[in-house]
Amino acid sequence: MKRLAAVVALLGLATATAACSGGSTNKSSGSGGGGGGLFTTIDVNRPGIDASGPANPWAPKGNSFIGYNAMKLGWVKNHLTDPNQFYPGIAASWEIAPDNSSVTIHIQPNAKWSDGKPVTAEDVKLSLGLASTTGSTAFAITPGAAGVAADVQVVDDKTVKVSQDMKNPSMKFARGVMDNWVVPAHVWSSLLPADFWDKLKASRSTGAEADKDREEILAIGQKVLAFAPPKDVSAGPFTLERVNPGEALLVKNKNFYNAAQVAPAQVKFLNYSGNEQIWNYLSAGKLDHSGFVAAPTDVMTRIKNAPGSQLIKGFSPVAVGLAFNQAKKPYDNVHVRRGLAYLIDRDQVTKVASPEGGIAAVTTSGIHQKPAQEWLGSELSTLEPYKHDVAKAEAEFKQAGLQKKNGKWTLADGTPWKFSMHAPAGFSDWISAQENIKSQLIENGVDAEVVTVADYPVYLEEIAAGKYDAGFWLMALGPAPYDIFQRLYGASNGWTNVAGKVAHSAPGKGGNWMGSAEEIDVQGVGKVNPGELTAKLNAATADQAKPIMLQLAKTANQDLPAIQLWDYVNTQFTNTSRFTGWPEQDSDLLRLPAGVWIQLGLIKAKQ
Amino acid sequence: MSVLLESSSTSATMRRNFWAGVWRVMKRKPSRMVGVVLILGFVFMGVFGPMFYPAQLDRDPNAITRPPSWEHWLGTDDQGRDVIALVVTGSRYVLLAALVTAVITVVVGAGIGLFSGFKRGRWDNVLMRLTDMKLTIPGLPLLLVLSTVWKFSSAVQMGLVLGLLSWGGVARAVRSQTLSLRERGFIEAARGLGLSTTHIVSKELLPSMAPYIAMNMLIAVTGGVYAQVGLFFLGVLPYESNNWGQMLNTAVFRSGALTVPSALGFLIGPLLAILLLTLAIVLVVDAMDEIFNPRLREE
Repeated sequence: MKRLAAVVALLGLATATAACSGGSTNKSSGSGGGGGGLFTTIDVNRPGIDASGPANPWAPKGNSFIGYNAMKLGWVKNHLTDPNQFYPGIAASWEIAPDNSSVTIHIQPNAKWSDGKPVTAEDVKLSLGLASTTGSTAFAITPGAAGVAADVQVVDDKTVKVSQDMKNPSMKFARGVMDNWVVPAHVWSSLLPADFWDKLKASRSTGAEADKDREEILAIGQKVLAFAPPKDVSAGPFTLERVNPGEALLVKNKNFYNAAQVAPAQVKFLNYSGNEQIWNYLSAGKLDHSGFVAAPTDVMTRIKNAPGSQLIKGFSPVAVGLAFNQAKKPYDNVHVRRGLAYLIDRDQVTKVASPEGGIAAVTTSGIHQKPAQEWLGSELSTLEPYKHDVAKAEAEFKQAGLQKKNGKWTLADGTPWKFSMHAPAGFSDWISAQENIKSQLIENGVDAEVVTVADYPVYLEEIAAGKYDAGFWLMALGPAPYDIFQRLYGASNGWTNVAGKVAHSAPGKGGNWMGSAEEIDVQGVGKVNPGELTAKLNAATADQAKPIMLQLAKTANQDLPAIQLWDYVNTQFTNTSRFTGWPEQDSDLLRLPAGVWIQLGLIKAKQ
Repeated sequence: MSVLLESSSTSATMRRNFWAGVWRVMKRKPSRMVGVVLILGFVFMGVFGPMFYPAQLDRDPNAITRPPSWEHWLGTDDQGRDVIALVVTGSRYVLLAALVTAVITVVVGAGIGLFSGFKRGRWDNVLMRLTDMKLTIPGLPLLLVLSTVWKFSSAVQMGLVLGLLSWGGVARAVRSQTLSLRERGFIEAARGLGLSTTHIVSKELLPSMAPYIAMNMLIAVTGGVYAQVGLFFLGVLPYESNNWGQMLNTAVFRSGALTVPSALGFLIGPLLAILLLTLAIVLVVDAMDEIFNPRLREE
């Protein structure tokens, strides 16, 4: 499940969005707080420490730890509804133009690299250039992509202005800019050729010359991914001291702009290869902090009983659903999907699969329950809750023409029906959930099976190829409205948004494995094209988004491309034996790594 | 006619003497009887066990991964199902796959070993090079690759693949034995009489090798159980709940059996089954060794 946690975290971070807000300035001085010893943790996003990995934040197996020795311009809060709220990182403050056309970034005035050199606007510009070679969001090189940075301008030594290409604007632009690594130009500058920025500009047009430029930029991207700096030079609170297959040791960076507030003198990342190792670390009280790891109830009780052990919970902008492949019969029939929704007792599924890390979805709207209240208000209660109801399920199945023979449901023509669910091996909560659903369905006459797939990439590949009847699918990826619904009405369901134009692929083509109807008649709304509505959210303000969100929620609730099973709960494990000052319950900081808490001065050594 | 009657009576006497010998050997150490009883128990469990339970085992979402109790002697699994029921219903796949593995291992291994050792020359070269190649193929990595394309949903498929991956050792050992036997007088006499290769291999060599082959077959059963349980435990094979290996995987990786005592019964159930099966086979092999090797008999 930690693999799932990693996926959830990465997808959460990847949900870039935009709007407008101002930043706050983080003062570099402050009263005490140092004097702490060793802070022990694990990196839930990446099992297995690679001792040969470079201190490179772009390297997939690098020894750059987010918030510790890897720094971003700002740290996205993943607020319930506003995607453009950040905590300061390298940027002390920022201004977003009211029309989203630019974001002006002010670097921390006292920010220095660990080798003593100051962090300058040139460092930021070079870092954004490096992001373009590997990147997406604001630094995509696809012609016509939404929310792309057209220009990066050094205003002065501590200020950078990044302008959006307004031909195809995105609300996510500021987030796309702020959510980027910053590395020292004096270590990394050799990677970008002198004419890089001209090449980048040219690459965003069309034609053979632009194709060539794009290829060259992508080739630089490969070098960026593989680059190994001779020494870890960081502007974060720590630098990498040494790493071996068992652990990575980081030491405090005395040049960090907020060093006076950084309590731990050292940070140790312990290696692990499975959840059970983390359970043992936690129940032995070894870890000061760990991100969410799925654990059965008894294990969780044991962890809670460890001296100093504490669980902090908050909002997690993601839910899990059982999504249907409507290109396969009988899932093309909405009554079959609804019948299954009535048959599955979501409370029981969540109790078995994710008792601590999830809350059974109250209804299936496509939005995580918590922001759903913000977006839909009182309308949320008008949606069909699909409470467990066998009689209603039978009525739906009958309406779909299914037949019940000897207590078993068959297809309309009398042939056997087996509902097959897939899950990647190692995603323990998904498998537990499917096993429970299987039992529930079999008890009610629907033959069902659970099949595991070798690993997550294979799962994604096969699900995209339309091989499964149904599969578990992460959805409701907040906080950007577009990101919430693009998992249901985006590329995987046939709608692609290229250069602001929405195109629809037939089921089975262009990655469309869900195969919903292109137009759906929704009660109380009329005919809607959910893909086009979702695409509109990309550039809509919060007020403009609200009515669209309601229409899409009603569509998802009636048409059920997926049954929303449970909303994830952000569960963090901490230990108060050695450190105090942890974030409060429900804090939006819980959606950021503990390294960010430390650099913001939250964690204090226990006196 | 009288000759015929005499010969059949001789063979009947031999058979009687053989079974009397078997009984003596079994009686000498009661543990051997225990082994036979256990094997019969496992056979019964594999063939009839699942019939005592419903196709869909009863579950209780309010009693997930419970420790042993009067109601559930080995506790419950992560869906609230009885662990003993899971061990029994899961035995069929495991035992059938192991049996298929053993049969293939022994038939292919012994066939190639006998033929190769007896024929020598070019056939021997070709078959032994083939065996060497087979022995160099790393079984586990190959299975890991195969598991991505093959679902192993049936026990026969599983046994077939494991069997085809494990005959090499038996072929080598049987060939060595054959090389030694073929130099004995009775085989030379058979060759001198111009008897066919098939006759010599099947009627002269095979009976002498039978005890050795039979013991190998029993040992191959344990090998088959370990291999498949190991693969399911590692989680590289598609999920199938009614399997001892999958039970171990779920107990350790999903229910924290190594972290909390409440899930220990879930771990012990399949482990106990594997332990008893191995013990049973070891005890029976011990008896077979003495039955077929007169020098070991303490007459």
